[in-house]
Amino acid sequence: MNTLLQTRPALAGKRILIGKPGLDGHDIGAKIVALTLRNAGAEVIYTGLRRSPLQIAQVAVDEGVDAVGLSILSGSHKELVADVMTQLRELKAADIKVFVGGTIPAEDQLHLRELGVAAIFTADMPLTDVVRILGERLA
Amino acid sequence: MLSQLANASALELAQRPLRAVTSNPARRIGITGAPGAGKSTLLGHLALLRRAKGRLGVLAVDPSSPKTGGAILGDRVRMDELDGASELYIRSLGSRNTSDGLADNLPEMLDAMDDFGFAEVMLETVGVGQVEYAARAQVDTLVLVLLPDSGDTVQAMKAGIMEMADIFVVNKADLSGAQKMAADIQRIAALNHHDPGSWVPPVLLAAASQPASILALSEAIDRHQAWLGTSNRQEILHEQRARYRLRRLLEMRIAQVIAQHDAAFFAAPLAEQLLLTLEMLGRVSVRP
Ligand code: B12
Ligand SMILES: Nc1nc2c(ncn2[C@@H]2O[C@H](COP(=O)(O)OP(=O)(O)O)[C@@H](O)[C@H]2O)c(=O)[nH]1
Ligand SMILES: [Mg+2]
Repeated sequence: MNTLLQTRPALAGKRILIGKPGLDGHDIGAKIVALTLRNAGAEVIYTGLRRSPLQIAQVAVDEGVDAVGLSILSGSHKELVADVMTQLRELKAADIKVFVGGTIPAEDQLHLRELGVAAIFTADMPLTDVVRILGERLA
Repeated sequence: MLSQLANASALELAQRPLRAVTSNPARRIGITGAPGAGKSTLLGHLALLRRAKGRLGVLAVDPSSPKTGGAILGDRVRMDELDGASELYIRSLGSRNTSDGLADNLPEMLDAMDDFGFAEVMLETVGVGQVEYAARAQVDTLVLVLLPDSGDTVQAMKAGIMEMADIFVVNKADLSGAQKMAADIQRIAALNHHDPGSWVPPVLLAAASQPASILALSEAIDRHQAWLGTSNRQEILHEQRARYRLRRLLEMRIAQVIAQHDAAFFAAPLAEQLLLTLEMLGRVSVRP
């Protein structure tokens, strides 16, 4: 068989939206993650800064993505994540998986998981783990 | 739905019933030109202006990495920055295995936009190099976006330039050199002979900061659309689309078959490789 097929990248064929909801302008992490996911074979769509939860959910639906990755460093992750989940449900797109990254204190992570977030990433995690975990959750 | 289409193999596509080309088609407007020419920005402004004419959808293609297949689909960031853009339907596409400025299965996706009931579809191509404009036949009206310093591109196209697009836009006209660039294209255009009744591509200046220039471009698109109705251009386009579709399906299928050959296969004489491959292509039943 073709060697290219044997080394199929971890996220080949996946479409992932990277969204920055709310008012925070910290976009270095979102951009690094976008490039990392691209290099792992994903088609990455980036919304740009300061999108509302409704805009992010609508773009996710229009673009037919497999997952939405929210990058939040403002401290408002609980409210923003809950809003995005609600908007996705209203658009009948609850099957789109939601991931969250940024400054998420350990004590808030369980709460986000209970809202339905598939995985949470912080700056101390190696990017190879980010790719591996996304690949597993989206398999 | 569009995702399924985008992912379909050549054989799956071949299973789909052929549709009548005339069934309620959307107007197809293409925007092409070099990377960074300002296509996404211009398309965004045009789309906001033109959506009053009926349901408008945008398909925007960005290049896929040939190594990993991954892509950053960044066209829509520019469009989303514009006020009112959240009401536009924008679909971002990776070019995937296609290297002519379009994307895999784009003809089928354009057809699907017709079926979804869009009145107009605007297509942004990958930033193309010079002359391989496959978008030419996929859209009814093709706008070529040039920069004030695109002199080399224009020189390379020379006499053929007027066949390359229906409308020429020298974009970023807020920068110096735009007037001269436009005049250069006009001069080349003047050397071309035009039959009476044929379309003479206008050369326009545009800038994101000058709404009147966007309006003038939109009106030129309308004039071209009206002219199409008076010519046999549409028939020619439909034939070209049918040819492109068949060729793309075959190319995809050939790539699939060649990928199945193991290394030993290529030790055989070339003529034998060719015959065997053709045989494999012929043997396959058109059932996925
Ligand atoms: C750089 C920085 C800035 C830069 C931002 C530049 C830019 N364009 O991004 C500047 C100087 C502009 C800035 C400004 C401010 N900042 Co600041 N800033 C930081 C700092 C030091 C580092 C952030 C960073 O870029 N990290 C590097 C990247 C790579 O890491 P990351 O974003 O966390 O991303 C990684 C992971 O989280 C994960 N990830 C992130 N997103 C996603 C998404 C997905 C889908 C996945 C899978 C993974 C993932 O992967 C990434 C790679 O490992 C942090 C402190 C810190 N240690 O985080 C404060 C920090 C974020 N800032 C903070 C504050 C308060 C501000 C200001 C409000 C300060 C002020 N009073 O003016 C302003 C607000 C700016 C604004 N408009 O929002 C606070 C936020 C407090 C909070 N969360 O409750 C922090 C935490 C500092 C602190 N300890 O108080 N800031
Ligand atoms: N000066 C100037 N810059 C522009 C104009 N339109 C777009 N740009 C800038 O050109 C860059 C590329 O624009 P983009 O629309 O992404 O181009 P594309 O790659 O052809 O789609 C961006 O930095 C834009 O802000 C314009 O009319 N004038
Ligand atoms: Mg673009």
